[in-house]
Amino acid sequence: MIEKTKKKSRVFDYFCEGDQFAGGVAWCAGCPLELTARFVPKVLGKNMIFVGTPGCAAPVLHGQNIGAWHRLPYLASVMTGVPSKATGLSRYYNRTGQDATVVCFTGDGCATDVGFQPLSGAAERGEKFIYLAYDNEGYMNTGNQRSSATPLGAATTTTPVGKFSRGKSTVSKNMPLIMLMHRPAYMATATLSHLEDFAKKLQKAKEKKNEGFVYLHVFSPCPVGWRINSNMSIEVCRNAVRTNYFPLWEAEDGKPRFTLEVANPKPITEFTKLMRKFSHLKEDGLAELQKAVDERFALIKSLCDANK
Amino acid sequence: MAKAQKGQVRVITGNAVGAYGAMLCRPEVVAAYPITPQSEIAELLSQFKANGVMDAEYVEVEGENSAMNVVLAAGVAGARVFTATSSYGLVFMYDALQEASGFRVPVVMVNANRETPGIHAVSSGQQDMISARDTGWVQIIVENDQEILDQIIMAYRLAEDYDIQLPVMVNYDGFYLSYLAEAVEIPNIEDVDAFLAPLKEQPKRQTLVPGVSKGCGTHGMEMGYVEARYKHCMALERVKNKVDEIDKAFSDYFGRSYGGQLEEYRTEDADIIIIASGSAAGTVKTVIDAKREEGVKVGLVKLRMFRPFPAERIVKALKGKKAIGVIDRSLCFGWKYGPMCMELRALSPEIGPSPILSYIDGLANLDITITHIGRVIDEVSAAAQGKSYQEVTWIPMEE
Repeated sequence: MIEKTKKKSRVFDYFCEGDQFAGGVAWCAGCPLELTARFVPKVLGKNMIFVGTPGCAAPVLHGQNIGAWHRLPYLASVMTGVPSKATGLSRYYNRTGQDATVVCFTGDGCATDVGFQPLSGAAERGEKFIYLAYDNEGYMNTGNQRSSATPLGAATTTTPVGKFSRGKSTVSKNMPLIMLMHRPAYMATATLSHLEDFAKKLQKAKEKKNEGFVYLHVFSPCPVGWRINSNMSIEVCRNAVRTNYFPLWEAEDGKPRFTLEVANPKPITEFTKLMRKFSHLKEDGLAELQKAVDERFALIKSLCDANK
Repeated sequence: MAKAQKGQVRVITGNAVGAYGAMLCRPEVVAAYPITPQSEIAELLSQFKANGVMDAEYVEVEGENSAMNVVLAAGVAGARVFTATSSYGLVFMYDALQEASGFRVPVVMVNANRETPGIHAVSSGQQDMISARDTGWVQIIVENDQEILDQIIMAYRLAEDYDIQLPVMVNYDGFYLSYLAEAVEIPNIEDVDAFLAPLKEQPKRQTLVPGVSKGCGTHGMEMGYVEARYKHCMALERVKNKVDEIDKAFSDYFGRSYGGQLEEYRTEDADIIIIASGSAAGTVKTVIDAKREEGVKVGLVKLRMFRPFPAERIVKALKGKKAIGVIDRSLCFGWKYGPMCMELRALSPEIGPSPILSYIDGLANLDITITHIGRVIDEVSAAAQGKSYQEVTWIPMEE
């Protein structure tokens, strides 16, 4: 028998725990959410408590007709109560000296739409927990309806393509920037194509949540809703970064900076061509999307530059 | 158990009493959002915290929904919690109210009763509480300022009891009691500690602890769901006797009794009974005393608990009475009777064939006056003598 020698990658250095999830969980094939959910507790550790909602993460995080598929404690909430519940938990654990990392783990629908008010409230109060939004740009669990994180031009089941519609007619909320404006202790964007960057940010999040509010925005493509081949989701993440569609940046104590600056950003078509949710867009539609991406990136860049 | 020391007597508003009541029970996590006519509670509790009188985490939330979510989650973690609201605040908590009871969290909440149809209804009425009837909470209604304070203390003994573990809503008439200053005896905090001490001797309830693999609020698990609901309903049934027991224990220790699930006033030899709740009950007692002078054998059943509905004690109090008049301060949309009357009519087979007259009065800050109550007693008396009567009367519409 050949003895296996373990080669440590740099990402593994950030792990303090093993996998907290069962093998073969009930997520769709190719969904980055599974990797994200397994990855987060490895870095944050066993004293993590999930606060989740109905959504893509729910069946695995809270169980559906069976128990949860992991070993961590969790509190399941309806969409409107997540950051407030995390407030109640973290206040009591801190008061009684119990070491806990309370993590809200919700989709973009909860974070940007129906659960935004309590998120904004908790951030303003500087509550000491981590809010992680996995952004799949819509209500994917209920069947691909639009959320306010759905991008300009995207076809969803509630912004369909038809004689009088070319997909969503407005740009998405710039959620990381909105959260930065609350002046949290820490804010960062991350995605699975850049794992070490993600791990570093999680580690920083764990540290900074002792000082105040932490918001993490994780780009998480939906193979089913976006119509991506299930072996392509990480590639989609990578191209979202390389086209500046999803810039990787962070803000510690209110000071924004890029964690990765793309030297020669690719045109947005390098991203859109990998999926079918933009396939109806003609040249003008794609140009509009490119403009929206450039505009958003320029704004973030100006903030990061001003802070240099 | 020895008797409590005499407390300090102060003339304060119902809202202030609510804040004192909460503070005396040493809550660990408090969250509140201001709303008329409850705001004074949110202010006073903040001041208690600022002055170091109350050692609680105080969360100045951005809305009532968050207030309920904060306290219910802190309760899941093991904290003693408190919040207060009114009207649309209660409506805005609707989803979280069901989570609080579904998760079996012993939240204690004060609700200053207020009307709910739109912002034009900044006035007293029990519609908010009635509309939250089926959220699985224990709902108690009190009559005066002293009762607010005493009931909050009793509410913790009830909510946190190992056999109960349910949220309790203490309701009092907004505007009437919230702004009414009365002389109130404020017990010493050590005596309140002593009264709540038996809770510490009970088994520890289940809580969510970091590092321990346990979950709360999972997806419905078919039979698991049914079992949880069944246990919830059985716990509500147990509340009835528990409320009476706690009232007795409170009376033995503090020397004040309220009757538990309901208070009976001059019912024993009464031919006819008036059913009322909240601050109006005091006025009803005054009118009953006057009518008794005239020889009318009338008594009052003051409904102190709306959920669970004190069916057994009501039947016992009403059986054999010749006629019953129910005064409701809210509406039961889709039924012509008021909500309390409707619930009472469900007990008709047990109570007997006596006429039950429904009265709608006291909506939107309209007073339930001595004249109104006199009229109710006259009509119920006539019905008891076999005369024809109107089933439902909207008193303000007939004036």
